[in-house]
Amino acid sequence: MKVAFAVDENRGLDSLISHRFGRAEYFVIVDTDTNSYKVVRNPGAEARSGAAIKAIQLLIKEGVRKVYAGSFGPNAMTALEEMGIEYVQLSGVPVKEALS
Amino acid sequence: MISVTGGKGGTGKSTVAVNLAIELARRGKLVLADLDVEDPNDHILLNVELQNEEPVNIMLPFVKYEACIKCGACAEVCDTGAMLLSPDKVPYVIPRLCSGCRACYFVCPTKAIVEGKRTIGYTYETPVNVDDVNFTLVTGMLREGEEHTPPAVLQAKRRALSVEADVYLVDTSAGTSNSVASSLDGSKLVLAVTEPTPLGLHDLALILELAKEMGLEVWVVMNRSGLGPEDRHERVVKEYGYEIVARIPYSRRVVDSYVKGVPLVISYPDSEEAFKLKELADRVWEVLS
Repeated sequence: MKVAFAVDENRGLDSLISHRFGRAEYFVIVDTDTNSYKVVRNPGAEARSGAAIKAIQLLIKEGVRKVYAGSFGPNAMTALEEMGIEYVQLSGVPVKEALS
Repeated sequence: MISVTGGKGGTGKSTVAVNLAIELARRGKLVLADLDVEDPNDHILLNVELQNEEPVNIMLPFVKYEACIKCGACAEVCDTGAMLLSPDKVPYVIPRLCSGCRACYFVCPTKAIVEGKRTIGYTYETPVNVDDVNFTLVTGMLREGEEHTPPAVLQAKRRALSVEADVYLVDTSAGTSNSVASSLDGSKLVLAVTEPTPLGLHDLALILELAKEMGLEVWVVMNRSGLGPEDRHERVVKEYGYEIVARIPYSRRVVDSYVKGVPLVISYPDSEEAFKLKELADRVWEVLS
């Protein structure tokens, strides 16, 4: 399963999970089946409007089923629920710690 | 059409607009348009209840799923992120983010987007009668939680202009956004209300820049004059080729009329501040006629 983590500074699996979702700088996307990961820029970070929706569109494209961030806005929560993506509120901890 | 604006919030735009409206209405038939749709308050300053409500509707797309070929064109063209493609490429609409621009409707190759509508705010047309002066107040008001101001501004402005009058006085919101530009558009004269503070100066420069770009004539009104130094304001105004045409002194009476909820030109008609406003109304009237 693919799990995404919203982060602001790219330090691979040591990146700290961001307090924000839609405007986080990057997503660290971990494939728990193959134990591999990649880091992608969040198009929502520079969006004028609908940042969270642009972030979710990226997650859908990447086949992500679960996402971690410090907080999710009302638009983000509704859309994530509709798209069947699980979301978890957590921030300030490294990605690898959240994974274990 | 004359506009009252100023860049900074809290400089006294609405206070100037309301007092000026009363004075201009003594000279001719007037419509005051409150286009500060996120927080309209001219009706509060005039102590009237808003009447004749009409909804501001914008287009909201609905998807006819049997006609959708899952091409994703609608989501691609959407500028506000209101259209999300599900994992199986079916579009999903997030109403609150939609600005009603219809781009998805035009771009859909199979006409799978159906035009619905959504109410984002209201306009009002209220008769005002204060101190034996009559005029019409048209107000635009956005619903709570809505973020797309321009449709509400434009609809309220259209409604104001549809009322027959000699003078249309527009009260804009603070800032230099799209909404302010839409409010100012078509003004014969713009009154930029500022105050002698560093922030007043900073935001004044922004609004003068916008007005200059739009090719509008500006008169600067210095409110709360005497509160602080005005030499830098004067320099900036001159640089833009405009002029400070009125100085309304900072005074306890202005605060007092605000507390009482009775416009200054009525509560203190013989004060120096009221005199300055009347003088300004005379000069504005001259430009109009």
